[in-house]
Amino acid sequence: MHSPRSDEPIYWLLFGAGGMVVGIVLPSVILVLLAAGISSPDVASGLLSFEHVKSMLGNWLVALCIFGVIALTAWHAFHRIFHTLHDLTVPPSKLFWFALYGGAAAMTFICLALQFLIYCKLW
Amino acid sequence: MSEVKSYRKPYNPPVEATWWTKNPFYTKYILREGTCLCALFVAFELLLGIFLFAMCDLDVEVATAESAAPYMWWVNSFIGNPIVILINLVCLGATLFHASTWFLLMPKAVRVFMNKNTTDLVPETFTVIALYSALGGATVVILIAAFASLP
Repeated sequence: MHSPRSDEPIYWLLFGAGGMVVGIVLPSVILVLLAAGISSPDVASGLLSFEHVKSMLGNWLVALCIFGVIALTAWHAFHRIFHTLHDLTVPPSKLFWFALYGGAAAMTFICLALQFLIYCKLW
Repeated sequence: MSEVKSYRKPYNPPVEATWWTKNPFYTKYILREGTCLCALFVAFELLLGIFLFAMCDLDVEVATAESAAPYMWWVNSFIGNPIVILINLVCLGATLFHASTWFLLMPKAVRVFMNKNTTDLVPETFTVIALYSALGGATVVILIAAFASLP
């Protein structure tokens, strides 16, 4: 029998945390990406150069923060897309639910796996 | 679920998919919801960078242009692409718009009491100002951390 309790609070919590991350952290992350894009660094020196990112992803605290930003942003965005589709007269269905929340879960676990791989290799 | 057959025949008025274009308030609402697409683009962008970094040869002692080729493509040809820079600028505006709406609705979603003995709430402007200062503080910290850790 299906449980009468809703699982929505879990996703809403991730959505809310993601909304905070997108509002507070993401603007400066985009600023860094823009600055790196304009300055076009090389391997050893410059903003977001290979060595710079190597030192970032080799630091467990910074790597954990980057993982949190990517994962929570993904949960926020996919939750909002799922509910805005309903507003745009696309009826919510199990298929969309699995596709969108599955996308968020996939991004989370791919990011975690890649960062863990990089951290182990650099260590 | 009840086993009794329902004879209810609800009337669902037809809704057009463009309903939100007819009222500026609703247009702003859908625009606010649409900012999540920009956030998703940034998340994909970062994930692509991490993926291409993982594709690099990390075992060599001193990284060369050859061993770091996948990542260098991302940082020079993808992030440095004028179209991607333009999309990033749009995303910056979208995240700031999201921030302004998110901060304004936060005191309505989370009720913080002044103390245990009253039902007075913390003033809304206080919460909003605190969130804006968090945005400012996070921006300063991240920019200083990014530029201070330059190799």
